Amino acid sequence: MSSLKRLIIIGAGPGGYVAAIRAAQLGAQVTIVEAQAVGGVCLNWGCIPSKTLLHLVDLGERARHAAAWGLTFEGPIGFDLKRMIARKNEVVQSLVKGISTLFKQWNIQQVTGRGELVTDRQVRVTDAQGGITHLEAEAIIVATGSSWPQLPQFPIDGERVISSKEALDLTEIPRSIIIVGGGVEGCEFACLFSGLGSQVTVVEMMPRLLPTEDDDVMAILTREFKKRKIQLALNTTIHDWQSTTEGIQATLSSGQSVVADTMLISVGRRMNSRGLGLETVGVKTGSREEIVVDEHMETTVPGVYAIGDVTGKSMLAHVASAQGKVAVAHALGTPQSMNYDVIPAGIFTLPEIGRVGVTEQQANERGLQISVGRFRYGGLGKAQAVGEITGQFKIIADKQSQKILGMHIIGPHAADLIHEGALAMQHGLTVTDVADMIHAHPTLSEGLMEAAEDVDGLAIHQARKRT
Amino acid sequence: MEPQDLRYHKEHEWIRVEGTKATLGISNFAQDALGDVVFIDLPDVGATLAAEAELGEVESTKATSTIYSPVTGSVVQINQELEDHPELLNQDPYGRGWIAVLELSNPAEVDLLMTAEQYEAFLTSQA
Repeated sequence: MSSLKRLIIIGAGPGGYVAAIRAAQLGAQVTIVEAQAVGGVCLNWGCIPSKTLLHLVDLGERARHAAAWGLTFEGPIGFDLKRMIARKNEVVQSLVKGISTLFKQWNIQQVTGRGELVTDRQVRVTDAQGGITHLEAEAIIVATGSSWPQLPQFPIDGERVISSKEALDLTEIPRSIIIVGGGVEGCEFACLFSGLGSQVTVVEMMPRLLPTEDDDVMAILTREFKKRKIQLALNTTIHDWQSTTEGIQATLSSGQSVVADTMLISVGRRMNSRGLGLETVGVKTGSREEIVVDEHMETTVPGVYAIGDVTGKSMLAHVASAQGKVAVAHALGTPQSMNYDVIPAGIFTLPEIGRVGVTEQQANERGLQISVGRFRYGGLGKAQAVGEITGQFKIIADKQSQKILGMHIIGPHAADLIHEGALAMQHGLTVTDVADMIHAHPTLSEGLMEAAEDVDGLAIHQARKRT
Repeated sequence: MEPQDLRYHKEHEWIRVEGTKATLGISNFAQDALGDVVFIDLPDVGATLAAEAELGEVESTKATSTIYSPVTGSVVQINQELEDHPELLNQDPYGRGWIAVLELSNPAEVDLLMTAEQYEAFLTSQA
């Protein structure tokens, strides 16, 4: 590695803070600039807060089920949203504090304010009071993330019309809510609010929920949404709406009218590439305002890097972190490249979704010859024991080589379970490799073994298929 | 003994014909084979179904299975009680566990279905 290098990172989200710590570990002198909160959207207003709340809803629902199985309670189980939010804030604060502690341990200098590139080696930071700090380094990493929706047709007022940020700080459960957008965020919030007891209507422009997920997964999720009595308006947009004292009155493109206390806008995040001095320095941005980067995360200006949402590659926290490590490695003279082939991801709906690699539909569109194996949660002793029987494991493999091309799980702990598939894909393993590995009993992981065996029709706990 | 006034399909659905309408459900054999039913995805009122087309899906602790319409017709009524009490399919498959009422498009199709006696013989032959 080269001699000690100074590095400035703008933005302390899951991309920026991971890059900062890694750079310090490798001997760099790091300054990190953050305008709002260490941990970024993910930790403060995204992944962690929503999972904290969804977990409580899940726990409450499971406890209600368990009441029929002999678990007794003094009274009915309910949700106190004010206390749930307080608990969420405690979790967030503790994690934010944890990152600040790591910064101190690694001698990372933290500067509060908005960072802006003055040259390709200089950053000007303006704090809330207008105070200015000048910083200089041999390399700069831009990790400014993406912003909440700012669509002209849906101005966020924070009361009736809200974004995910406000949705995670509501202290009263809305009786009814319209969710605009049936993507990952929209689906997670549909589960959260329906669990809390709100009447939920999801309005999605596309003909299905979660357009990039596997059809099997989507079908099971759609059925679960029906069980939750979530109203789905697919192939539909909001034609017109107004905010009245009664709430939101919306007319859908189908002609249907929906009245709700609140409307959550879950579409239209924008990359935060404005006001960073990119034009001055010559950093190129694309048509979606994303910062253009190469495989080392370097922008069109040598020594200036960009990672995370602002690069428009992926809106996943863990991809931002991986990009951060790659950018640091390159900046410090030991180049690595980003590989986007194996990226596991979780969707924290109820039930949860875990995915990696191609879907069956994507494989077919690409003309790949594939074999598919499936196994239901209901066939697992562990799933029956814990009373969580809804869900499916699915493996997609190359027909000839049997190499795993994709894995899709919907059901409890899917986002944790998916990593076995991701590791298998990362190392080019086949379905036989997974099927032949002994899986501990009783566990949900056995579902992966059974799905792998099912590719050849050899799953043990599966009804015999008629031939 | 299967109820005598019903007609049966080989996929284990039954229908009860009254005039031009037919109430349908799943047989005792079907509910037993399914195990505890946890959810039924009912058709929409107004939907038109061909004979042997998919009517809905039923999810049990064992499997998710398709229910087929034994006859052609349009859905005029569905048993909404099943939305909150899918266990009625197990408890009373020929009574409160009915699934839907169809307006028959082609009443002659009914004659193609099995009588109770034939269905019982069919079950024995499958055993």
